[in-house]
Amino acid sequence: MTVRAEADLLTELLERISGALALDGTVAVRERDDALEAVLSGEDLGLFIGRHGQTIDAVQYLAQRAVAMLTGEQRRVVVDAEGYRARRRDVLARQADDAADEAVNSGRPVALDAMTAGERRLVHEFLRDRADVDTYSEGEEPDRHLVVAPAAP
Amino acid sequence: MRELLEYLARLLVEAPDDVRVEQFEEDDGTVILELAVASEDYGRIIGRGGRTANALRTVVKAAAVKEDRRVLVDIVD
Repeated sequence: MTVRAEADLLTELLERISGALALDGTVAVRERDDALEAVLSGEDLGLFIGRHGQTIDAVQYLAQRAVAMLTGEQRRVVVDAEGYRARRRDVLARQADDAADEAVNSGRPVALDAMTAGERRLVHEFLRDRADVDTYSEGEEPDRHLVVAPAAP
Repeated sequence: MRELLEYLARLLVEAPDDVRVEQFEEDDGTVILELAVASEDYGRIIGRGGRTANALRTVVKAAAVKEDRRVLVDIVD
């Protein structure tokens, strides 16, 4: 299966959804690292992103499933709009650092809010460089969350 | 909303021709969308832990907000 077919599918998927939300957006798809990244650009895309990114994360999940059905392969798909993913990365990095500091200062594990698998992976990566804490995931979807614990001595 | 649900569901199953969406309206104006798929596709449309069904509901609800409606997506046999 060609990247072209996957890109066409993602473009149509995002256009159909933004159309149903009465948003005037344009879609661009590109390959980035090991993922296919589909970006919606336009004005006032808040409804597409949703509260706490709920809608854009749902779109991303459906997009990933649809690509898997088309190609028979599990390919990572990222859906973005208005720089949402970059803003979210900054927020997560700050939360990760705060949780790590709190864990070290209190000597106790600190649980973060529930996150998607992709976001948990980001936080794991942020904190990999810190020798003073360990991270692991706990709980079942959709409540699965990361725990930041002081590193074992 | 109905067209969107039908379109999305068709992308997620092995038998897109068997995807059916029926639309009803409750007295309070709530739109009910009943989604049926081929019997071997229910696992795919519901997903692990209901994740696919929940994602479909979230996206269809966003479309309903735009139309100022309340919508329920029911997956039926």
